[in-house]
Amino acid sequence: MTAVTVGARPLFGRRATRNPLVIGLLRHALLIGVLIVMLYPVVWMVAASFRPSAEVMNSLGLFSKNYTLDNYKNGWSAGQLNFSRYFLNSIAITALSIVGNLVSCSLTAYAFARLEFPFKRILFGVLLATMLLPYHVTLVPQYILFNELAWMNTYLPLVVPKWLGVEAFFIFLMVQFIRTLPRELDDAARIDGCGHWRTFSRIIVPLALPALGTTALFTFIATWNDFLGPLLYLNRPELWTVSLGLNSFLDVTGESAYGSLFAMSTLALAPIVGFFLGAQKLLVEGVATTGLK
Amino acid sequence: MKRIRTAALATAALMVVAGCNGTSVGDTAGGDAGAQDGKGDVTGSLQLTFWGGANRAAKTNAVADLFVKAHPGVTIDRQNADFGNYFNKLNIQASSKTLPCVMQLQGRQLNDYTKRKVLLPLDPMIESGVIKVDDIPKEVVDTGRGPDGKLYFLPYGAAYDAVGVNETLAQQAGIGLPKEGYDWQQYTDWIASAKGKLPDGVFAAGARGGLPNYFIAYQLANGTNLFTDDGKLGFSKESLVQYWEMWEKLRKSGVTMSADTQADEPEGAEQNFIAQGRLMTDSMPGNALTPASATLAGKAGGQKLTTLPMPSGPSGPGNALFSSGFAIPTNCDNVPTAAAFIDFFTNDLEAGKVFKSDNGAATNTKVLQAQIDDPALPALKKHELELFSKIAENKPPTILYPPGYQATFEKAFTRAYEEIAFGKKTVQQAADSFFNEANAGLGG
Repeated sequence: MTAVTVGARPLFGRRATRNPLVIGLLRHALLIGVLIVMLYPVVWMVAASFRPSAEVMNSLGLFSKNYTLDNYKNGWSAGQLNFSRYFLNSIAITALSIVGNLVSCSLTAYAFARLEFPFKRILFGVLLATMLLPYHVTLVPQYILFNELAWMNTYLPLVVPKWLGVEAFFIFLMVQFIRTLPRELDDAARIDGCGHWRTFSRIIVPLALPALGTTALFTFIATWNDFLGPLLYLNRPELWTVSLGLNSFLDVTGESAYGSLFAMSTLALAPIVGFFLGAQKLLVEGVATTGLK
Repeated sequence: MKRIRTAALATAALMVVAGCNGTSVGDTAGGDAGAQDGKGDVTGSLQLTFWGGANRAAKTNAVADLFVKAHPGVTIDRQNADFGNYFNKLNIQASSKTLPCVMQLQGRQLNDYTKRKVLLPLDPMIESGVIKVDDIPKEVVDTGRGPDGKLYFLPYGAAYDAVGVNETLAQQAGIGLPKEGYDWQQYTDWIASAKGKLPDGVFAAGARGGLPNYFIAYQLANGTNLFTDDGKLGFSKESLVQYWEMWEKLRKSGVTMSADTQADEPEGAEQNFIAQGRLMTDSMPGNALTPASATLAGKAGGQKLTTLPMPSGPSGPGNALFSSGFAIPTNCDNVPTAAAFIDFFTNDLEAGKVFKSDNGAATNTKVLQAQIDDPALPALKKHELELFSKIAENKPPTILYPPGYQATFEKAFTRAYEEIAFGKKTVQQAADSFFNEANAGLGG
């Protein structure tokens, strides 16, 4: 930026400051301003969750004279069961989904990136084409299929597909990543006597950690927030996930419990924020180790 | 990858073609055998689905538990979701022929389902005495009928639209409440008379020309049928133009809220503008009085809300009933138990006491009276139920909603008025395009 103006007429008036401190301050002020605008609804929700239920909907401000923890107490034990059950269910589904996606997507990606087999290009094209198919197109056939398999009221419809590599986006992501890894490493491994499994597990997986981390993170967010899947397949309250539990606070045809809703939503956000911070570290570490190549 | 998906799709497609009915649990012949009188053993498992949040689920579950207690050998699998999501799920269940045996419906969506012939007519079950309708007013039962005159769901709760009035604000403005039996002219004059007498940021009414509920009440008060027998619009374009001009006059004179503020209104009885104290009057569901009053009471100083019947016209008050009730799908394999449950939920006195008219006032007059007489009933709730009795006594008209009503009519109506209020179209243009759009999407 600054180099351009040396010896030439400055573009925006003579007094344009080049003091890096002032520019830095301005830039940060702008970023903080945008951040506040974007974050305010979330902060408002957190603040509202601490207000008594009569005050929840009454102000756009953050502060109240009567802070209370009642929304958390009532919300946690609301409904036919309490939220500890919903959280455990969500954690179980999410964990199984993450592991499933990591295993199936990385294996499929390895095959597409490193192996030679007939119709590879066509199959890869088909894989990408499945990304173009909206979820809603396959919804009814899927529902019939799982119903016929008697998988209603089980976690199988939510978890099993993840183990079959149906998430084309993650496969694509990993194929692209593995393609950037030098083939010489594979060759060296082969000379040392490694088969495909060992090459995959000892060479590719450790080097593909950033891609695996991204996959895990996105799977976590998508599964944790998934609403339609659990809504369709989980009817019994003892199987409900957090998202279904939150929905039960709402009732446009009756009385909604917004205080409890906001309190539990705040708690439901915590794992996502926590996981993101954790995975961020993993991502950085992954990048640092792959920097050796 | 591809093979799995293809296999799945192929299997699914085959199942659709073969019309699989799923595994049979009950001992009656399953499927679409046509007329069923609902007689048989009340036993086995039953699936029940309804809309509502945790509060209603607790009450519905309590009633289901009472039924199970009274009928050993019956188990009830329950599922519920919020209104919008409930219908998303119900549509998927309908298209996969896995509708739960007892499913909740309203008149507004009924004919989306009768058109596709997924519901059993309940009349044979009434004739056989399995389902009783003796204590339900005829006009209320009729709200569960389809275009062929057959009863497809038995209304257990009837909601009505009312005119909500913030009494505190009306008194501050010194204009009191509209007189008993007031008509639309008096109502709009009353709204206009509040001009300049309300606190800053508070309006006499919303920019409500786009609210279907007000318009339906307006047409009913004038004795017009909203829809023709083949499901097209039954009112004249002139009456729509007149109606919108009435609202436009109010909006342009500044007594109502601006159109863009109105468009930002949050949904839900606890947080919409009347509950926030930003409007002196608005149309609201009769059972929203309790939750909206709770929000208003939390405001500084506390404000009091009440509900009135809709404005009258040559044909009397324009109140229609919006009933909710349970239907039985053709794919149900345990019709006797489903029919017995529906009868129990609607007519049993104990069940009514437990459910407490949570989804509209109880349609069974004995159940309703027992609740009104209960000294433990909160005053606001009592007002809700008494207003319902008053409306039901006046033999309210029945609206037969054509298929596509919710998807086409409500959305197009609201949008058409917004186009006027935002200055994109004249009233006449908007009425023309609304008629074209609605008639293209409705019925058939």
